[in-house]
Amino acid sequence: MYVMGVESSCDETSVAIVKDGKTVLANVVLSQIDIHKEYGGVVPEIASREHVKGISLVFDQSIKKAGIQYKDIDLVAVTEGPGLIGSLLVGVAAAKVVAMNYDIPIIGIHHIAGHIYANNIEHDLVFPCLALVVSGGHTELILMDKHYQFKKIGETVDDAVGEAYDKVARVLDLPYPGGPMVDKLAQQGKDLYHFPRPLFDSKDYQFSFSGLKSHVINLHHNLSQRHEVFELADFCASFQEAVTDVLVKKTKAAAKEYQVKQIIVAGGVAANKGLRGKISREITDIPVCFPSLGYCTDNAAMIAVAGFFKYKTGNKADDYTINGNSRLEL
Amino acid sequence: MLKSSKILVIDTATDYVFLSLLIDGIEVGYTYQNDVRNHAVTVMPKLDELLKKAQIALKEITEVIVGIGPGSYTGVRIGVTIAKMIGYLNNVPVKTVSTLALLASSSSAAKIMARIDARRGNAFTACYSQENGIMKATISDILVNVEQFDQTHEIPDEIVIIGKPDMEKILRSKLTVFVKNIHELVPNYLQVTEAERNKGKI
Repeated sequence: MYVMGVESSCDETSVAIVKDGKTVLANVVLSQIDIHKEYGGVVPEIASREHVKGISLVFDQSIKKAGIQYKDIDLVAVTEGPGLIGSLLVGVAAAKVVAMNYDIPIIGIHHIAGHIYANNIEHDLVFPCLALVVSGGHTELILMDKHYQFKKIGETVDDAVGEAYDKVARVLDLPYPGGPMVDKLAQQGKDLYHFPRPLFDSKDYQFSFSGLKSHVINLHHNLSQRHEVFELADFCASFQEAVTDVLVKKTKAAAKEYQVKQIIVAGGVAANKGLRGKISREITDIPVCFPSLGYCTDNAAMIAVAGFFKYKTGNKADDYTINGNSRLEL
Repeated sequence: MLKSSKILVIDTATDYVFLSLLIDGIEVGYTYQNDVRNHAVTVMPKLDELLKKAQIALKEITEVIVGIGPGSYTGVRIGVTIAKMIGYLNNVPVKTVSTLALLASSSSAAKIMARIDARRGNAFTACYSQENGIMKATISDILVNVEQFDQTHEIPDEIVIIGKPDMEKILRSKLTVFVKNIHELVPNYLQVTEAERNKGKI
């Protein structure tokens, strides 16, 4: 079964073709990162304009790369949310035209389901499975008892982890996108500052990063005011240690409570080396899977894989009224 | 037998969804409906309905004419994306037309001004003259302060803010523009984004 995935929820225009929820025949990603860099973050209206500009060429490159024809496609899977509404609508409109033109069923996919299913490309999901979803917009622990069934057992009460990274990076004057830069510098520094580990001892699976972020920003401000010399690398390392300590502790506890057979890490922050290292070192009794780096960030292959499993588990296709939804729930 | 021309027209840059189907130059069906800015949901089902009624498959469309704005940014992107994809997938010609020209075509006055609200006292504006059913642009699409513009320009016979486009009239005019490379088709926003405007000011 050939599934075409379409993703445009933020600043990447992507179209992929995946066979049987596993074999990626094409995964074309047009990134706008260089455009948004100048503004220190994604500008929604610019993102939407760039999606319209690039959309048909990304489809064309993807179908050519896959070496199949549109009429061979069995299902169109498109990210319907959450994300930037103007961006989502471009992908949804384009996907609908493909579906109508070739009379192919269309199915809307939750962006986070996509990130989770990115893991199925190189691994096989084993249930019960615990997903740690970490990105610029999400920090969640999700339990899956079987395919395409998601139970949220914990989430952030304020900032998403990737958001905290980006804000800290901005204060430290690191180039956009800041998250990967903080990770890189953290590799060279030491945890000198012992920042607070928010909700570390709470008995639930909630996260909070806003207070930690403010703490880091305030300390940076104070040190700068006093003209004290400090290493950015140590700042980053201290922040990263605090963040990953909390993420790993809660993931480990949830895995034990729910007796899961597999842990998967999903979302853009799954590319974070500090997190990958720590979770692998500290959880050794349960297999931990990460997508390879190219499938951590936004891409349409993961949407196609999620589409395959959503459809295969008996979920009905959508009709042409399918809409973008910036606040869609999983 | 000559293959007949089947033109699909799409404009979603205003509060109204406009779809029209012309076979051999004659409008055989259309939708002109205020859907309270819910174009993302309504356009494709309306298109499906229009085509089914005429018993035509989307693939059989031989040409697309799309309103490229100016107007609502989110709105115009939906129509342009749809037109772009139809043109690309089926390798059929796509032509653009100003959304203001579509609006103006609804009027039979000799001197017409078409206007779309652009907030804060501004409007996307264009002026047209028409003689013997042939429409010509006299002032092309611009973003203006309404008060200032009206003080310095001749008062038209009619100001159009809504109206079902007259596609047969548009086809007779020279107001459509052929898109040479479909992948380069983008809306005519008439304005850079606020972020780009403010960039130089910091």
